[in-house]
Amino acid sequence: MTPPPARRRSRAQLSRRSLLARGLVLGASAPTLSALLSACGTQLYTSGNLVIASPSHPVRWPVHQDNPAIESGLKPQAGSTLRLYSYSDYINPQVVKNFEKTYDVNIEISTFNDTDEALAKIASGDLSYDIYNPSYDQIGKMVAAKLLRPLNHDYIPNIDNLWPNFTDPWYDQGWEYSVPYTVYTTGIGWRTDQVSEDIAQRDNPYDVFWDPQYAGKLEVIDDWHTAMDMVLLRNHIYDANTAKSADLDLLRAQLMDLLQVTRPKVTITMYNDLPSGQIGLCQMWSGDVINSIYYLPKGQSPDILRYWFPADGRGMVDNDLIVCLSGGSNPVAAHTFINYMLDADVAALNFSYVGYQPPQKSINPKTLVAQGYAPPNLATAAVLPRYFDEGVHLLELPPTVDGQWHEIWQEFKAGG
Amino acid sequence: MSGWWGNPWRRPRVLLGFTALYVVWSLLPVLIAVMFSFNSGRSRTVWQGFSMRWYYGDPLRSVWHDPSLHTALFHTFRLGILATLITVPLGVAMALGLDRWHGRLPQGANFAVLLSFVLPETLLAVALLFVVTTVSGSWQPLHLGISGQVAGLVTYQLSYPVVIVRSRLLTIGAQYEEAAVDLGASQFGAVRRVLMPMLVPAIFASAVLVFADVIDDFVIVRYLSGDSSTEPVSVKIYNSARGAPTPALNALASLVLVASIGVIIVGYLAHRYFTRGEDTHKRGIEAFASEL
Amino acid sequence: MADRSTPRGSRWIWPALAMPGIIWVTLLFVLPLYVVMAILFGQIDPILRRPVPVWNPVKWNIIQFKYVLEHIVGSQGYFGPALLRTAVYVAVASALCLLIAYPVAYYTARFAGRRKGLLLALLIAPFWISYMMRMLAWINLLQNDGLLNRTLSLGGLLDVHVNWLSGHAGTVILGLTYGYVPYMILPLFAGLDRIPVSTLEAARDLGANRFEAFRRVTWPLSRQAVITSMLLTCLPMLGDYFTNDLLSGSPQTSMIGNLINTSVLTPGQTGQAGAFVMIVLIVSIVPMLLYVRANREGEAMRS
Repeated sequence: MTPPPARRRSRAQLSRRSLLARGLVLGASAPTLSALLSACGTQLYTSGNLVIASPSHPVRWPVHQDNPAIESGLKPQAGSTLRLYSYSDYINPQVVKNFEKTYDVNIEISTFNDTDEALAKIASGDLSYDIYNPSYDQIGKMVAAKLLRPLNHDYIPNIDNLWPNFTDPWYDQGWEYSVPYTVYTTGIGWRTDQVSEDIAQRDNPYDVFWDPQYAGKLEVIDDWHTAMDMVLLRNHIYDANTAKSADLDLLRAQLMDLLQVTRPKVTITMYNDLPSGQIGLCQMWSGDVINSIYYLPKGQSPDILRYWFPADGRGMVDNDLIVCLSGGSNPVAAHTFINYMLDADVAALNFSYVGYQPPQKSINPKTLVAQGYAPPNLATAAVLPRYFDEGVHLLELPPTVDGQWHEIWQEFKAGG
Repeated sequence: MSGWWGNPWRRPRVLLGFTALYVVWSLLPVLIAVMFSFNSGRSRTVWQGFSMRWYYGDPLRSVWHDPSLHTALFHTFRLGILATLITVPLGVAMALGLDRWHGRLPQGANFAVLLSFVLPETLLAVALLFVVTTVSGSWQPLHLGISGQVAGLVTYQLSYPVVIVRSRLLTIGAQYEEAAVDLGASQFGAVRRVLMPMLVPAIFASAVLVFADVIDDFVIVRYLSGDSSTEPVSVKIYNSARGAPTPALNALASLVLVASIGVIIVGYLAHRYFTRGEDTHKRGIEAFASEL
Repeated sequence: MADRSTPRGSRWIWPALAMPGIIWVTLLFVLPLYVVMAILFGQIDPILRRPVPVWNPVKWNIIQFKYVLEHIVGSQGYFGPALLRTAVYVAVASALCLLIAYPVAYYTARFAGRRKGLLLALLIAPFWISYMMRMLAWINLLQNDGLLNRTLSLGGLLDVHVNWLSGHAGTVILGLTYGYVPYMILPLFAGLDRIPVSTLEAARDLGANRFEAFRRVTWPLSRQAVITSMLLTCLPMLGDYFTNDLLSGSPQTSMIGNLINTSVLTPGQTGQAGAFVMIVLIVSIVPMLLYVRANREGEAMRS
């Protein structure tokens, strides 16, 4: 029983004409829409120039009138919630539980995979995190956009537990906005049962990432600045924040070469992949290699793990921060938490789980092995204070240069 | 050709074998994953003995004790219920309306719904993320978190009830309503008392499908998630699978699986109940499947 | 097909029923696409490098869109390989899905008999098993010390130690196939189920052998169902990024979904994500029009 032809014509779905007509209608209504929507306010979020801190140009950040510190002498409200925003597995659950019990505050931990994504979410203003763990390469942007709350030092007497240079670091003089969380180096980690050579003996250990015999068995860190600086260090370029086009071209060429030759995976889960045997070799943070021990399968001895960092200290050395976000709803608890994390015992307990070394006076890097924090084969993972003077730091980049670096990274991630 | 091969009415052993192989390939990995959720050790590949450790035993990392895991479970079901409660009425009404209303606007809406049925979810998720993060103002009700997630889920799932109910409408036809109107009922009354009861099986089928689909959704809920309390199980699995997963993850996924099975069984039984008077040659699961 | 004249009575009821849905779809589906364009053609905040949408089309700036287009082909064609890879992966995975789904759907429709219900239940099962859980299951199996390697090693006879999860295109394609084949089976089953058995039996009675009967009777009748199910499987695959993320951490197998995913939250690149979204949208709309037309034909055929 077919419907009569007239009916079929009237039921004819999207003819080209109707599609065109709809398109025109939509197009004609766009300006009205735009007038409506421009009422939402689409101003630029920040203006002016980005101030960049570096060891040779230390910066004291301004405290803005409309973003003051909290008052002194307050106590965290019982039963309230404190929201942390951090990498996964970057804080000891026991440390968290102890804080919750002591101060009767609930802690909610949200995680991110990389700091670009984290900053984008924070800047959207929709989420009220209290505590965040960036590195100092975001501090200028965050201060300019008023995303950070200045710290009230009265709440944080434990700052005295830290290494002296951190009370007045070049990236935040007078520690207005941040305290350090962990210090770490970035080197190369490997397993002796999958890698028969001693990478430390090579002339240029970084070359191992371009060595075809390890194809498919290695990983690089999924952080644009860290992974790309490794390429620069391989070529003995010690300016990790270079804007020179010659350097960038070299960087691009060798990064693409890396993809072709060894097909590395790009992740931040080395602390699990290396001990479980998924890979034999990776670019690694020092804290991750110590953390790996916890993830070894039962019965596997930690002797097979190794870590290399340049003996002269000229490798990547950085530290993560704890900052209090201005969008957070529980600043008093946030300050209390920061002070709690700087306590010597808490820091030690955290270190034993996370593997990342805190810059505490009570934890002497030279005796990490003796104190039982690391096995002897991983003594190279200790972060010595002198590294901070000799090492290379991943700084914040000016917007144009930042854009160029990110372009190269995007190319790399697109697979070439 | 040999007798067996040439016989046109022989049992189709090759096809049967292939189908059996497919079913095994399709479901065995999941069964293995469920099995490992009962592993007594940390490994997800090496069996180390039976234990309920990851469900409630382990004081720090089991689903019962780890707040991030059971929060994810509750959030998954919350999203499922909210999204289904909004999608099904909206979709059914839209199906009824679009079916009977002729004109450019309903044609365009029909195309938009079909488009949303087929488009990659990523497009919708990214578009909504842009809306939520850049269109600001106190009048804007969508935020990262449950409001954004539910809005995205409803939009993405709306096509299911629309398509299912419309195909049912095609089969039913307009004669019952016309008979009712002829006998003196109002248009509205005819719909309510004649058509709706006939649509109940289709409505139920679409509700079940939407719920099952929402609790497994990943892309939309991930892009529109706020902090960790609005991350459902699928996002937790994704985050942890790339990191350092424990069998607690398998346990969490198994719990969601059990819930899905429960909902499907309820839906199937309800469908059988609602179609018990119907004179169709298909019964049971086939009828249920043919709604979809 | 029943008479489709509008039932007598007040006609306001139908628009009234449809409007809430239409408003919802407009506000939350059509308008967000406009927002995507406003961001794609908009500006970038100088310090945070977040996207700043520009609502008035007159003030739109095509620089970000141009950047993406320029980098697809040519000397700076960085995105080209990813787009090509996506097309290849989706094509191969869809073909594999069809090769697997068709026989299974055919068997279920024609030969399952009493076990049809049970078989259907098993086939529908993957729909409500979370995609993530199914991928998680495969990751476990594909790990270096996982069951697949151990099975292939035949219990110690050989030493198979393939790194399945290290950037192999094959793993990703198989993952896509595994994930999306259930979406193909149901529509195929529905379409094949509708072919009357009598037609087939008539063909066999008239002397056609098995293959000819298939080629000349079954296949043409099932073509529309095949097209529908291909669309239902192919198009969603275009936006997939998580299969690649989970089964291969390497950029070497990245698809357009990964391009979108990595640029969405990267400072300064959000507009480019918008460009990729637009590209996928345009590529999807054309087959969609085909689908709609096929739907119309199918309904006419069924009546």
